[in-house]
Amino acid sequence: MTPAHLTLRRFVIVNALLVALLLATIVLAALLGSVHVDLARALQADLADNSDRVILFEARLPRVLLAAVVGGALASAGVALQGLLRNPLAEPHLIGISGGAALGAVIALIAGGRSAASEASLLPFGAALGALVSMAVIYRVALVHGRLQPYVLLLAGVVYNAFAGALIMCVNALADFYHAQGILFWLMGSLATQSYRLVAVIGLYTLVGAGWLLLQSRQLNVLALGEESALQLGVDVTRVRRSAFLAASLLVGAVVSVSGMIGFVGLIVPHVMRLLLGADHRLLLPAALLAGAIFLVWADTIARSALGAVEIPVGVVTALCGGPFFVYLLKREGKKAFG
Amino acid sequence: MVRLKSLRWGCLAAVLLPPAAGYAVEPARIISLAPSATEAVFALGLGERLVGVSSYCDYPPEVEKIDRVGTFLTPNVELIVAKRPDVIVAVPSPGNRAPVESLRRLGLKVVVVDPQTVAEILESLLAIGRELEREQQAQALVAHIRQQMAAVAQRLAGAPERKVLMVVGHTPLIAVGGGTFQDELIRSARGVNLGAQAGGSWPHLNLEFVIAAGPEVIIDTTMGNEARAGAEAATAFWSQFRSLPAVRERRVYGYRAYQLLHPGPRLGEAFETVARFIHADRFDHEREGGAVAADPEP
Repeated sequence: MTPAHLTLRRFVIVNALLVALLLATIVLAALLGSVHVDLARALQADLADNSDRVILFEARLPRVLLAAVVGGALASAGVALQGLLRNPLAEPHLIGISGGAALGAVIALIAGGRSAASEASLLPFGAALGALVSMAVIYRVALVHGRLQPYVLLLAGVVYNAFAGALIMCVNALADFYHAQGILFWLMGSLATQSYRLVAVIGLYTLVGAGWLLLQSRQLNVLALGEESALQLGVDVTRVRRSAFLAASLLVGAVVSVSGMIGFVGLIVPHVMRLLLGADHRLLLPAALLAGAIFLVWADTIARSALGAVEIPVGVVTALCGGPFFVYLLKREGKKAFG
Repeated sequence: MVRLKSLRWGCLAAVLLPPAAGYAVEPARIISLAPSATEAVFALGLGERLVGVSSYCDYPPEVEKIDRVGTFLTPNVELIVAKRPDVIVAVPSPGNRAPVESLRRLGLKVVVVDPQTVAEILESLLAIGRELEREQQAQALVAHIRQQMAAVAQRLAGAPERKVLMVVGHTPLIAVGGGTFQDELIRSARGVNLGAQAGGSWPHLNLEFVIAAGPEVIIDTTMGNEARAGAEAATAFWSQFRSLPAVRERRVYGYRAYQLLHPGPRLGEAFETVARFIHADRFDHEREGGAVAADPEP
């Protein structure tokens, strides 16, 4: 499992290609939707009652950008967690942060009594708080004799998720009909937004979290060789694990708080990129970030336009597209990568 | 098992013996498992006899004093049996098929109504009236509702059709679609229901579709526990879209929607409410000024 030799040229070519693809994706996705937008009309600023402009800039573009940010965050968190836990099944929603965020959001939804404030601001706030609390608890549990133990971390995360899930079901059973519906839909995940500010805030979190991970990428490579080798090579294993876990948590908490539970992106995109590019985190992290963004933008484009006026939850699309493609790749490449 | 047997024998006895204790000439102990059925029982003047209702039942105010026997989705069989009801009125819900079957197997009388359309609502009121020995009152009630609706329709004669969007949630944007009685009310009130163009009874609409369709009236029944909260949420949400005719012309109505969503005896009031929202100018006191949180006192 030694990473292939990474040249600067390869790094630049791969990432430049992905950046170009992402930009093309954003432009194309902004032009595609359930309603045809006349681009020439949309770009005229001085028209009164310009519904083309409103659709493009208020309904569609913020949503496309949020999909890019969320997809990138989930994929890079997935890479970090798979490397940190040395477990191919690790994915952002597995480590308990999502469960914690969902629980926080649900409590905020009930506490807010579905007022205007609760839908707009209280819910993300509750989710972020729930993510922080779960992160602290899981981290404390996984810290054995001052060292972060991957297996304990994984188990603590899974158990925390199950625990949070049970509490959510309990709240759901006690809530009135409309709240129960709201909780269900929130958990399904959605990228609908009209706020560029929200996109900017979550984008900032994502950049900070992903940048932090990128700074650790060399150490993550060594960690992938195993704890013993890493210690012999002078890597502070506990410190790397801690900062990778915190960065991943920051990424997951931020995106779950605004978009709910969108599955598959954080599991599939890292593996696909690993199969295509190898396991060197220095290349894998930025490439997975870009690929995750591209993948989720396309998935959401399908979700919002496949059935015309009616929307499909984006998590359904990520699972339907991601699952079969992943199985195909496993069949084709699995022996080479995991055998 | 023993108890089950004795229950069956009890029922058999009830059938064979002349009506004395237990099942008198008319049912004395009624349980309702749905908000609309509860309203119907009250409208027929039998509210006093309700010994149990679902936790979702919120109207009329007297309902507060009645014991709850589970939710609309999950009625509690044990609580219901313990109340020894003479008759249970139920509306099918995603979760209550099995409990209702159990109640029937236990020999209890369950009346099931499933009103989806205006005609079915009126028919269900008559059916409940028949089962509760209040047939005349039910006929009078239905006649009154028909009269109310005719009066409203008369006011709207010749009014221009307006494009209407009626939503019950923001995230996702769930609209009232075709095949619902709300859709019928909108159409009868000279409105074009945009939600019906999407397909399905409760479509999750795409915001782009809404902006492109350009609703002239928005009825937002984002349901809260307080009318004020519902109205606030509605105004805050829709004010983001200045380009919509409904927002520009201040025809966004936030409304605590119980009577708009319960297929029960307040159908006439519901129709008038919808009509007032769509054609405020056709009614005496105009309602101007954006969101109106109205829950008219009964």
